[in-house]
Parts: sequence; C-alpha cells; structure tokens
Amino acid sequence: MKKKVLAILLSAAMVVSMAACGGGGNDGGDTGNADSGTATEDTADAGDADDAGSSEGGNKGYSFQMIVKSFQSTYWQAAIKGVEQAKAELGVEVEANGPANESDIADQVQMLDSAIQKKPDGIALAACDTKSVVDSLAKALEAGIPVVCFDTGVDEAPEGSVYATVATDNAAAGAVAAENIFPVIEEKIKAATVDAKVRIGEVNQDATALNIQQRGQGFIDKMIELCNGADKKVAVVGNEFYVNGTEGAVDEKEAEVIIEVGVPAQTTVDLASTEAQKIMSKDDTIAIFGSNQTTAEGVITANQTLNKLSTDPEKGIIGAGFDAGTPQKEAILNDQLIGSVTQSPLMMGYEAVITLAKICDGEEVSDIPMDGYWYSKDNMEDDNIAPNLYD
Amino acid sequence: MANKKALGKLKGREAMVLAIIVAMIVLFSILSPTFRTYPTLVSVLDNSYYITLMALGVTFPLITGGVDLSIGTGLVSYALIGGFLIFQKGMPVGVAIAVCIGFGILIGIFNGVLVAIMDLPPFLATLCTCMITRGLGPALCGGFGVSWPSSISADGGFRKIFKFVTAEGTVIPIGIVFMIILVAIMSFVLDHTRVGRYTIAIGSNKEATRLAGVNIKFYHVLAYVISGLFAGMAGVAYAATYATIYPGAGAGFELDAIGGAIVGGVSASGGVGTILGSFLGVIVICLMKVGLPFIGLQANWQQIFTGIVLIAAVLVDVLKKKKD
Repeated sequence: MKKKVLAILLSAAMVVSMAACGGGGNDGGDTGNADSGTATEDTADAGDADDAGSSEGGNKGYSFQMIVKSFQSTYWQAAIKGVEQAKAELGVEVEANGPANESDIADQVQMLDSAIQKKPDGIALAACDTKSVVDSLAKALEAGIPVVCFDTGVDEAPEGSVYATVATDNAAAGAVAAENIFPVIEEKIKAATVDAKVRIGEVNQDATALNIQQRGQGFIDKMIELCNGADKKVAVVGNEFYVNGTEGAVDEKEAEVIIEVGVPAQTTVDLASTEAQKIMSKDDTIAIFGSNQTTAEGVITANQTLNKLSTDPEKGIIGAGFDAGTPQKEAILNDQLIGSVTQSPLMMGYEAVITLAKICDGEEVSDIPMDGYWYSKDNMEDDNIAPNLYD
Repeated sequence: MANKKALGKLKGREAMVLAIIVAMIVLFSILSPTFRTYPTLVSVLDNSYYITLMALGVTFPLITGGVDLSIGTGLVSYALIGGFLIFQKGMPVGVAIAVCIGFGILIGIFNGVLVAIMDLPPFLATLCTCMITRGLGPALCGGFGVSWPSSISADGGFRKIFKFVTAEGTVIPIGIVFMIILVAIMSFVLDHTRVGRYTIAIGSNKEATRLAGVNIKFYHVLAYVISGLFAGMAGVAYAATYATIYPGAGAGFELDAIGGAIVGGVSASGGVGTILGSFLGVIVICLMKVGLPFIGLQANWQQIFTGIVLIAAVLVDVLKKKKD
C-alpha cells in the first residue's frame, strides 16, 4: 500500500512538473555571464548602466522581452553582449529567456506566450521553428506588442505582427565560403577532367532548418557558378534535399567537379564527423565545408584521425567552417582550416534592441540583413571581427 | 545449474555476434573501398569508447531485470560540469575527471535508492533521473556549451589515453586496449565475484535470493552505482573524443548502449547476459553508425536499418525463450 501511494505521488509530481516545466524553462544566462547563473531580474543591470554613466541615449525606460533559440551554443553569448551594449546606450530593460535546447520548440512557444502576458513594450524573437510561433505572433499583434525577429525570420508571420527582421543573409553567407575556397583550389579545378574528377564536400547539420537550407544551397549555387566560369561542369550528389534543390548541375558522368553533400542522421558532432570522414577519405576530395559550428567541428574531429587537411592544395584538403567556438578558432590558427564565415551575433542582438526602441519612439523601421564575414588567421584580431568570434 | 546453462548458451550467442561483425566488415568493405582503410578502423573505435563504457555499466542493471535510462544525458552533464570547472574555475583536468566520475557515482546511488530501496519501477525511476541530469549540467554551468582542452594545448594530455599520435603522425587507438582490459575485469566481476553472482541471482529470481539470506538491497543498489560509475567514465571518454559538449545533448545515447547490450545477448527481462556480449553488441552498433554512411546510405535509411537490426536481435532472444 505504502509503495503504491508513493509511486502514484511520484507519478503525479512528474506530470505536474512536466506541465509547469514549459512555463519555467531556462532563465539562466541572460546577462551572458556564465558565472552569474540564474538571475532573471534586469533592473540591477539597467541601474548599473546608468550609474556607470556610459548611457548616452539617456533613459528611455522601455521594457523589452527577448526570446532566444536556446542557450545551448555560445553563439548566443555574443548576441547577449550586443544586447547589453544597446541596453547601456539607450537605458532600457531587457529580460532574456530561452529553452535549454534548439529542438525544444514547444517550450519556446510557451515562453513566448508568457512574455506576451507580461505586456512588454516590445519583443525580440529568434524562432526555433518558424511555423510554431505563428499563433503567438497573432496574439502579440492583438495585444499591440511589436515584434522584431532576429537570427531567423518567420516565414508566414501574420500581417503586421513582425515589424522588422534582423538576420544574416544565409544564402550570401554560404556563398562567401565558396568565394574564398575557390581561389585556393582553382588550379586543381582547371586541371580536372571527366576521367579525373575532383570532389568538393559540404556537411550540413540538417535539411530542415531554413537558415541551414539557405546556407548549404548558397554554397552549392556559388560553387557551381564559379566552376562554370572556369568551363567545368558540376554534379551534386548525396543528400536528396540539396541534390533536388540545385539548378544548373549535370549528371555525374558528364561532370568534372562533384559536390558531395553529407547530412548526418541527427545533429550531433559524432555523426557529423562520420559524414565528414566519409567524404574526406575519398582520394579525389580537394575541399570540404562545414556549414555551422557542429559540422565544422565534425570536420575537425574527422581530421584528427585522417590528418588530411592543409592550407596548401597540393598537400591536402582545403577546409573551411562557419560560426566560431574554440575548436574552430584553434584549427584556423593551426593551419588546419583556411578560414571560416562568422555571422554577427553581437550586432544582431544590438540591432534587435535598437530597432525595438525605434518602434516605441514611433519611427519607421525596416529589415536589417546582416553579412557573413570571412575570417582567417590574417583578420581574426580585427576590431569588427573579433567580438563576434565567441568561445 | 540454470546459471551454467545460461552461460553455455551465451557462448553460442557471442560467437553469433562475432560472426555478424565479421560479415558486416566484409560487406561494408566490398561496398565502399574507403571503408577498409586504417583511418576508418580508428574512427569506428574512436566513436565506440563512450558507448562501450556505458554498455559495460548498464549491463548490471539490465541483468537485474531493470534498466538505467539516465546514462545518456548523465554522461553529457558530467562532462559539462567537468569542462566548466576547467574553464570557468581554472581547475586542473585531473580534478575535472574526478568530479565527472564522482557525479556519476552519486547519481548511481540515487538511482539505486529509488529502485532497490524504495521499490520504484526502474524504467520510471531512471527516466525521471534522466530528466534531472539533463537539466543538472546546464543549470550548474550557466547553460552554455564547453570544450575540454584540445590535444595540442598543454592540458590536452588526457586525450592521449584514448588516442596516441606518434611523431610521424600515425594515429594509434590505444583506447581499445583499455576497453579490452575493462571487459576482462568486469567479466571477472560478473562471473566470479559475489557482486556479479548476486546481480544475476537478483535478475533470475529475486525472492529466492532474498530467502537465501543475501542482502539483496545492497547488491541491487550496487548494480546502479556501477552503471553510474561507468556513465561518469563515459563522460570523460566523450569529452576526450569530441570537440565541444553541448548542453541538452545525450538523450538517446543510452539507446545505443542498451541496444548494444541486447544485441550482445543481455536479456531485457534479466538474469541472462555477459560483459563480452555487451562489448561485441556495441561494436555492431558502432560499425553500423560508421559503415552505413560510408556505403552511401542516406540519413533516414540509416535509422531504418539500425532499427531493423535491433528488432532482429530482440526477436532471436524471444524465440530462444520460446524454445525453452
């Protein structure tokens, strides 16, 4: 009897905690400082900014809610730094929340709804899944709360709910990688023939998230354009989504250049590294691109076993990555990768808050597309690049 | 007597799994010329260490007729906490390794108390612990991902335990030697020590064992502590192999380990199983993880194929039971 009661009580507790969990979520880290942990009150921060006397815009006093995709990747730490800068400049309050994990879509929707209930002056949103937030955006519109999207846009947002989107042009960012890899391997491409093909690898984390799709496709499209410019035909093989999405590719038999696209079964580094290894172990591979932090680290992990990456096309495979993180930055400094493309998470966080303040001031706002910047050993320390290269 | 029979049958099972491994290697090598190269072998082994450690540990709860679902999110959490201590608190790697394993043991004790002393169903109890460990790491570390020191940095020596790179650049996966040593040790524990024999006894007939005067509560808890200990070690192996540890990851890792153990002959209802079988089963799982992409099977088909293989393994188990 006792055991039964205990088991029932525990089950009930589990059910209740699961229901309550969505609302609570992960409130930690909104000050972007790993040590400070779980502070959710931002009044202290706004106060500090005023006391420090660094706020030039003065005291607008707006209160905003920010929902990030997750606190999973250190990418968001850089975004929060940008938010802090805007807070200090304008004298506004920003409370940031986010789920534990970028696949916790339901949790994020609940956080967004809670944020709307708090009746802030504005909401900044980075949606995990663009379709799931549409209903909440309608609620925000009804409540008269302006929304600014950052990092990812929302495809079918209700008319008038999203005032502006501050995000990287992912297709262009993927193209930047292609533009920087091509000159290094140009000789090899020009020397390729239908009988002696060359292979360029691309590892994409998935084929379902809009930003990854655009990035992966952007790289493929630009590489095809550059190869065609050198009079070489290109075939695309591998993951069906990207193969079918490409225009301008020919059959494998007729091509001199093959672009092989690997997508792991799940978005984990070990599976990504297997995909990278599969491509890198082939004899005709001359270059490989990992289109986000996870897949770039997969390439680096695969190289620990294969040891094939080099900055000299005659000596090995040319590698490039995306975003930052300590392993990737180290790999660039150690001549394993020739470079990577960074987004501007810091600027995105900053501009999101500035834009919200402008809306509250009654100004007109419009979308702010951000560029992806190529960084390598040569410019990693530059002032406009370095702050975005989070650890 | 029943024990001896079980052991005898399993020798046949292990031989069968070994045959499957050889068949898979031959098949993949034929279908993919790049598969049968030395780097691929190193890669299969690299990806196997943390799963092997999980499987060696979880074999004990499985043999008692229970299960430990917290090892997947657990190992990621422990690795996260260890990495946090290194980077945010400046502690040496040795301390981080000790804390990682220590946390594993703590959670193992927690699981053991829930299942063995408070009599909760193992599936439910360890599922709840799994949720706790999933949030525990990120909660203690501020929620961001972390990397343990890389192999080229001064503190990166711990990675050499698993993979040694000679001056000429040859990579030697010495981790496999340690795995084999651990398999030998834990096999001995399971077959020849009181801990092992009582674990099997609890699984085959708990009441009879209790009536025979054995302190089953103690040995039952111990099974989960062993599982937790190995989850902690798996956390270190995971940190040594991969570049960055992401919070919230790990859900699903336990299925690789438990699947491997079941393929290797551990019965889901308890009382039957060997350490060697679990180890071989994990090799099957890791071969599939690396081999299927290499032969060109795309992501979704890999998952379908793996699922079918696991069903086949459980089916063999069930059919054998029916024969008895």
